[in-house]
Amino acid sequence: MTNPFREDLVSRSRAEACTVVIFGATGDLTHRKLVPALYNLAVDGELPPGVKIIGFARRDWTDEKFRAGLEELNRKVSRNAHDDQVWAAFSESIHFHQSEFQDEMGYRALAERLDAIDAERGGRGNRLFYIASAPEYFDDILKHLKGAGLNQAAEGCWARVIVEKPFGKDLKSAQHLNEVVSHTFAEKDTYRIDHYLGKETAQNLMVLRFSNAIFEPLWNNRYIDHVQITCAENLGMEGGRGGYYDTAGALRDMVQNHLLQLLSLVAMEPPTDLGADGVRDEKVKVIRSLRQWDTPEKVAANVVRAQYTAGFVDGRPVVGYREEDRVNPQSNTEAYVALRIMVDTWRWSGVPFYMRMGKQLPKKATEISIHFKAAPTVLFNAIPGGTPGGNVLVIRIQPDEGISLRMVSKLPGTALRLEPVKMDFHYASSFGKGSPEAYERLLLDAMAGDATLFARRDEVEEAWRFIDHIEQAWHASETPPPMAEFVAGTWGPKEAGDLLRETGHSWRRL
Amino acid sequence: MSELKEMDPELGREVGIGVIDGELKKLWDEDEARTNASLVNVAIYSEEAGSLRRNSKIIAKITRDHACRALLIELDRLAAEPSIRAWITAHCHLSGGQKAVCCEQIAFELKGRSRGRLRNTVFAHLASDLPLIFWWQGELSNLFEESLYSLIDRFIFDSSDWLADSLASFERIELAVSDSLRQLVVQDLAWTRTYHYRLAVAGLFDSPQAQAALAQIASLKVVAHPQHRMSALQLVAWLSTQAQWSLVGVERATALETLRFAHKSGAEVCVAISYVESSAPLGSLEMDGGNMQLRVWRDPGKRHLFHQLVAGEVHLEGVSPADSDEDADLIGDQLARGGKNSLYRRMLPRFLELLRF
Repeated sequence: MTNPFREDLVSRSRAEACTVVIFGATGDLTHRKLVPALYNLAVDGELPPGVKIIGFARRDWTDEKFRAGLEELNRKVSRNAHDDQVWAAFSESIHFHQSEFQDEMGYRALAERLDAIDAERGGRGNRLFYIASAPEYFDDILKHLKGAGLNQAAEGCWARVIVEKPFGKDLKSAQHLNEVVSHTFAEKDTYRIDHYLGKETAQNLMVLRFSNAIFEPLWNNRYIDHVQITCAENLGMEGGRGGYYDTAGALRDMVQNHLLQLLSLVAMEPPTDLGADGVRDEKVKVIRSLRQWDTPEKVAANVVRAQYTAGFVDGRPVVGYREEDRVNPQSNTEAYVALRIMVDTWRWSGVPFYMRMGKQLPKKATEISIHFKAAPTVLFNAIPGGTPGGNVLVIRIQPDEGISLRMVSKLPGTALRLEPVKMDFHYASSFGKGSPEAYERLLLDAMAGDATLFARRDEVEEAWRFIDHIEQAWHASETPPPMAEFVAGTWGPKEAGDLLRETGHSWRRL
Repeated sequence: MSELKEMDPELGREVGIGVIDGELKKLWDEDEARTNASLVNVAIYSEEAGSLRRNSKIIAKITRDHACRALLIELDRLAAEPSIRAWITAHCHLSGGQKAVCCEQIAFELKGRSRGRLRNTVFAHLASDLPLIFWWQGELSNLFEESLYSLIDRFIFDSSDWLADSLASFERIELAVSDSLRQLVVQDLAWTRTYHYRLAVAGLFDSPQAQAALAQIASLKVVAHPQHRMSALQLVAWLSTQAQWSLVGVERATALETLRFAHKSGAEVCVAISYVESSAPLGSLEMDGGNMQLRVWRDPGKRHLFHQLVAGEVHLEGVSPADSDEDADLIGDQLARGGKNSLYRRMLPRFLELLRF
C-alpha cells in the first residue's frame, strides 16, 4: 500500500520511521554531530514521525542524564537555534541503554527494548544501527547484534548499519571488517559513512560536471593539464587527538577515504543513472584504475611524507609534531603527505592528479582545482611577461563553499598586457540559507535506503590496496623513503614542491 | 545636467529614469568591500498606496537568504497625469560575519495610465538571463495580461487577498498558465501556507495503520482563521484529491462550511471547516474513522506544528515547523523549494469545484 499524500510532496527519497541505535553514545561524535543532526532534521520537519534514538554505551547513565548532556551540547552546536519546546518533544524519543559492548545479554535486552518500541509504533521494526564506537569494538558489536537477531528485520521492515571511519587500518583489516559486517548485514544494508560526501559542494561536483554542457566536453586529457586536491588544516594534535593520529597518519586518516572519494567524483565517467550502484560503479572504476606505487622507488618518486617542526600558525606558536601531546617522540607517522596520482583510464591518460593533506598548514581549506592546458600562445608570444597561465576551475569544499574560474583578460590601456581574472561563485553569498550539515543529509539518506553517498565495500578495499603499497614502502621496506620536515605554518616541505616542479607544475596558492 | 534627486530613508536615492543603470554602478564604486549578488529577478507589484516602503522591507528580508535584483512597482491607476519616479538602493547583509553581500533594488512609482510602461520601462532593468519571479499583491487587475505574464517565469499571488471575485481571478490564472509559452509556474501563497500541514499529514500516513484506515475516514475537521479560507479550502481540496474522494455537496454558514465527500465505496466523509478569529492561519486538522484519530495542530503565534496519531495500539507524536505568518518568509521558502508546483495544478480543479459549488 502506498501513501497517497506523499505524491509530489518532496523531491528526495523518503526517510522511513525507525529506531536509531548509536553505539558509543557517550562519545563526542554522538553529542556534537549525530544527535544535533537528528534534532535539526526534526526542526526542519524532515525527520519522519516515530523516530526513536537509543544510545548504547558502557556508562551507567539514565535517560535523563543522557538527555541532559545532549541538550547541553545541542545548545552550543546545533545549526538551528535550540528551541526548548521542540527539544522537549524531541528528547522524549531519546533513551539510554547501558551495556558493555562485549556483553551478549546487553544486546538481548536491547532487542526486547526495540520490540517494545516497535509495538508502540505499530510494528514498524525498522532499525538503524550506528557504530560510532572505537574501531576495536566493531567486531564485538556486529557479532552480538547478529547473536541477538537484531540484524534480521521483520517482514516488510529493514535493519541497516552505518559504520564510521576508520574502516580498517589497511587492506587486510578492512577485508576482515567487511567480512564481519557481511556476515551480519547484507551489503545493501551497510552504509560506510564518509561525511565529505555529504557536503554540499561534493554533491554539487556531479551537477557541475554533468549538468553544464560547457565543462564535460573539456573534462579529459585533451584539455586538462593536471588536477590538484588540497586538504589543509591549521590545527595540530589538540584535544588529545595525537593518540589516535599517531597510529594512523595523514595517508590513512584522510587520503584513503575523503580525498580518494573526492578524486573519484572528479575523475569518474558519467553514471548510467543516479542510483547508488550506478554512481558507485563508476567511482570504484576510478579507484581501481589508480596506478599502483608498489615499490619503495616508485613511492619515493611519487609520494612525499613529512612532519612539521615548531613554528607559528595564525600568529600563535606551535610545537613540532613529535613534541605534540600523546605523540611518540620518535614517531615515524606523517602529519603531511603529498602524492602524484595517475588514473590509468582513456580519459585521464597522462594527466597527473596531485593531492596534498597536512596539519598545521597556514589555513583550513579543502579545494579541488582543475588546471586546463594553456591556449596556443602564438598570438601573444611577444608580449612582455607572456601569458599568465591557463584556466583554472576551483571547487571549494570547505570553508566558504563555492566555485571559481580563472581566465585571462587584457589589462585596460593602450598596451596589450594580459592578467588573470577570476569569476567567483560563493554559496553563502548567493544562497544565504545554510546548507544542512553533512551528517543530516547522510542520516536521512540511510533512513531512506539511499546509499549513493556512502562507500561500497569494493571502493573501500580498492582504496586500501592503493594506500597499502605506500604504507609498506614507508614502514616495511629496507629502503624507506625519507621523512621530510616543514616549519609549522608554511605550506609543506620543499620536497612536495619538487614533486610538481619535475613536471613543470607548482602547487596552487590558496 | 545631473538628474540626482533626494534620498528616501527606505527606498534610497531618487534617480532619473534615464540614469538608473549609471547610478546603480555608482553604488558599487563607493565601497569596494561589498559584493553584488543576484540569482533571480524578484519584482513586487502593488496598486496600494505606500506599498513601496513596505515591500522594500520585505525585500530586505528576502535578500538575506536569496540574492536577487529587486524591482518594486507601485501603480496609481487613478492619477490624472501619467508620471514615473524611481529610487535605487542596495540591501546588504554580512555573510559569515565578514563580507557585505548586497542586492540591488529599484523602486518605481507609476501614476496614471500609459500603455506599455511596465514592459518597456520597468522590465528594461531586469538582470539579463536570470529568471523573473513576479509577486502580484492584491486583486488581479486588467494589467494581468499576456504581454505581462509572457515575460514571467514564476507568478506569485495570494488568493487570501482576493475579496471581490476570487473564482474569476483563478480562471484568469488558469488561462495564463495554459496560454503561456514560457511554462509559467504559478504560486499561491495561500497554498504555500498549507505546506507543513501537508508534510505532517503525509508523515503520519506513512504508518500502515493510518493507511489502512484511510478508506474508512468518516470525518475531517479543519479550523482556520477567517482570513485564510483559501488555505483551508486548498488543504481540503488536496486531501480529497489525493484520497480520491468525490464531492457530494457543500453547505455554508457564516463561520462554518460543511462539505460532503464520498469514498470510492460510497461511504460518506463529512468535512467541517470552522473559521475562528483566534485561530492561527491554519489552526488544526483532525481526521477520524477506521479506528484512527489523526490530529495536526498549531497554537496561535507558535512556530511549530504538533502531530498525533492514534490507530489501534499505535501512538505517534511529533513536532515539525509551521509555515511562517510572514509573507517574506513564505516567498523565501518558495524560492528555496523551486519546482513546477505540479501538486498545486493537480489540486486546483477540486479547489475550483469547491469554490463554484
